[in-house]
Amino acid sequence: MDTIKNELQMNSFDRVLDKLCLTPIGLAGLILLLILPFIPPFNQEYILRWLIYCGFIAAMSVGFDFTAGYINIVNFGYMAVAGTGGYTSALLVINAGLSPWIAMVAGGVSSAILGLVIGMISLRLRGIFAACLSWFFGLAVMGLAVKMVWLTRGPLGLRVPRLFETESNFPFYFLIIILVYLTYLICKWVVRSKMGLAFQAIGQNMDAARTSGIDPVFYRVFNFTMSCAIAGVLGGFYAHFYGILTPDMMHTSKTVEVLAVAYIGGRGSLWGGAVVAFPFIFLMEIVRSTLSNLPGLNLVIYALVLILVMIYYPGGFSYFYDTHIRQPKNRALRYFLNGRDV
Amino acid sequence: MSKNYMSHILPWLKTAPGMSIAISIVVAVAATIDAGPYLLVNMVVTGGMLALVATGLTLMLGVLNIPMFAHGEYFMIGSLIAYYIFTPISEFILEHPESWLVTFGPFIAIIGALVGGAIAGAISEKLVFGPLRRRSTDNWVMNSFLLTVGLSVLLINLHQLIFGADFKGIVGYWQGMPISIADVYVSKDRVMAFIISAVIVALFYLFMTYTRTGMAIRAVSQDITGAEIVGIDIEKIVLLTIALACALAGVAGGSLLFMYPSYPTVGLEPLYMAWFVVILSGLGNILGAVTGAFIVALLKVITMEYVGAGWDFVVPSALIMFILIFKPSGIFGSDVRGVLDK
Amino acid sequence: MLLEVKNLNAGYGYLQILRDVSLHIDKGEYVGIVGPNGAGKSTTMKTIAGLLSPMSGKVVFNGEDITGLSASAVAKKGISFVSEEMNLFVNMSVQENLYMGAYTIKEKSLQNERLAFVFELFPRLAERRKQLAGTMSGGERKMLAIGRGMMSNPSLMLVDEPSFGLAPQLTTSVFASLEVLIKNGVTILLVEQNVTKTLAVTGRGYVLENGKIGLEGKSTDLAEDSYVKKVFLGV
Repeated sequence: MDTIKNELQMNSFDRVLDKLCLTPIGLAGLILLLILPFIPPFNQEYILRWLIYCGFIAAMSVGFDFTAGYINIVNFGYMAVAGTGGYTSALLVINAGLSPWIAMVAGGVSSAILGLVIGMISLRLRGIFAACLSWFFGLAVMGLAVKMVWLTRGPLGLRVPRLFETESNFPFYFLIIILVYLTYLICKWVVRSKMGLAFQAIGQNMDAARTSGIDPVFYRVFNFTMSCAIAGVLGGFYAHFYGILTPDMMHTSKTVEVLAVAYIGGRGSLWGGAVVAFPFIFLMEIVRSTLSNLPGLNLVIYALVLILVMIYYPGGFSYFYDTHIRQPKNRALRYFLNGRDV
Repeated sequence: MSKNYMSHILPWLKTAPGMSIAISIVVAVAATIDAGPYLLVNMVVTGGMLALVATGLTLMLGVLNIPMFAHGEYFMIGSLIAYYIFTPISEFILEHPESWLVTFGPFIAIIGALVGGAIAGAISEKLVFGPLRRRSTDNWVMNSFLLTVGLSVLLINLHQLIFGADFKGIVGYWQGMPISIADVYVSKDRVMAFIISAVIVALFYLFMTYTRTGMAIRAVSQDITGAEIVGIDIEKIVLLTIALACALAGVAGGSLLFMYPSYPTVGLEPLYMAWFVVILSGLGNILGAVTGAFIVALLKVITMEYVGAGWDFVVPSALIMFILIFKPSGIFGSDVRGVLDK
Repeated sequence: MLLEVKNLNAGYGYLQILRDVSLHIDKGEYVGIVGPNGAGKSTTMKTIAGLLSPMSGKVVFNGEDITGLSASAVAKKGISFVSEEMNLFVNMSVQENLYMGAYTIKEKSLQNERLAFVFELFPRLAERRKQLAGTMSGGERKMLAIGRGMMSNPSLMLVDEPSFGLAPQLTTSVFASLEVLIKNGVTILLVEQNVTKTLAVTGRGYVLENGKIGLEGKSTDLAEDSYVKKVFLGV
């Protein structure tokens, strides 16, 4: 009833925004990101490289939150899954001469298969043990990438053709922004459907979900597979952007980076990680490059922020936003922050 | 009489613990005959170290419900402390080769590592886990897990920031000729490392089984409300448990300094291996963790011997995942507190 | 006066359950609290035992204010709580459970004295001293919980729903064991759903309804009270 009434009250602009899962402020943010590379100092190539990395982490954190925030399982091998996609894509381009664009999709498929396997095996395990299992999987996959030298050239790294035959980073930047948004949109569509409720039910209480007729097997495996497929495509982007792929990409510490951004952004929000990634990772890169005589300082700050957020504000940025910013008195401002949803 | 024995042993062999222990023994013997006794020595030394780290991990998980990801960092702290204590001692020994420090100096370093690990653990409880516990225990397992992830990143990078990333190692603790055991020459350090871990694990087992405080720790792990109403001071027991668990990791790091020089990420390997042990043996008891430690050590040593160095993450993790499919609660896990999502 | 509870308000989160509950117990008394399900009997017990912090009000024990102390601090003052769920240590033997009950006693000899006393009281526990608590039957577990509560030589025992989930003949034996404790000079505050039984054994009683004390008085008088008869006994 309510939703029908809301639909009637919306004008066509609101309706489009709603379909695109955006609020006016979200749209403004997206536009800002799209014009950002034309504003100095962001038009410099090295800064653009940082921004692309921010975008990569942002998209990864959305895919990660899709599992962690909804079915409450931390996929601790997430970067290894992305790396699998990256390697598949790179090897298909190098050895089979495929176009990088098609190879990226193939990378997504290979990661999805990996996700399916992890999802099936970890199915019966309690949250933290499922996390451990995906972690072990990640370790094993990374070990394979290191040791299968005949295929991956091991720690030396693979030289990978780039997606665009240009020195400029501009096209990569726009591509990753589109990927961030697409990732968000797809995940949001899924969680807005009936499936999202099922995910949350499983995440909060498996038994209760089962007794109310939700089949946890299907939803858990589906969720896992989908988030891994996203990681695979993004891994392909990573490979074809940097042009060099080493097993280091799959390291647990990289997963920790994604995880930290997703949790600082706010679990279960999807957008929180994407929003936080840009300023946060960007600042970290500045700290790293300006204080290069103090290696590790950026990660110390990083860890301190994660610890403080986990203790004092476990809801993360999205929770802060929802409780303190989202409901201002001014009607116009409220519309800007929320869209027409009242 | 002997028939009586057999009637006990045969059914036991059909259970998961019996089967895995029997297979391990057979494999160990076969490999020793094939490759030489040094393999057995390696297994015993690695197993002893793993037993220390894994027992601490089991303690954290069983008593406090903290899936500790930062446990390897206390191993690192132990090795760092032992290095800074032992370096001046070894210089002194060079000048005074007749001093009593030749024999007892290493013990000072190792005890320093033990105490340092305990203090570091207690500080972490006061600054990190305590505040979280007092704020909220909702979703405790996941939140505390993420907290330990942050702690791990923090400690690794603090090490790098303060002490640098280079290897801080020693040539050896005890001088003199290697000891000959059954035609194999084993360095004194290895023998001592094994003896130290055996003695500490035995003392720890006795402590947990027979002393009032050890029983209180077990009581807290079984029923925290019950422990409160009989007058056990939970805060104290929690502090003690964390200190003990970290002290075990610290002493492992200290006594193995001759094998693992101290550097920022030295703790990752013991951490991975200890998690293998915990998942493999389940949340049973201390004896289960110790047995599991030797099984994992055997797996690692055999993999290194027959498959090659660098495969020692791939093969054990693959095998453990395989075992988990058939016995999800671990080999020695009790059904009471298994890893299953019931 | 051994225990005095003054105007206690307590509950879970925003949900207030107890409203201005006041009660008192003298040394050596056997006092019962009866009332329907959800009246706040267990909440009263948990608040006195320190498992719940009260919103307001006072708990005074032996002339000392113990309001808001932690459960372990309350246990050290000499109050022992036998909870409805029993909260036994299921992977420990009977004897280990009992020793844990004497956690507040430091001297080994005193602990052993208490152990002998409890074994004398419940010979059944002595027979099963090596058995794991988790493998025992419901009645035996109840006995173990009461025995564990006795181990610290408490001046006051809070016993919550001892008959819960027990067969009638086991209920009788559990009540009989409480009777023995009273004879040994222990003060008991008993919470029960079984109104007839409670009013038959206790000396004084309180009727708790909707988080408030409705009636109080001698148990024999309460048992004769027309309101109690109508509401609880269905006579």
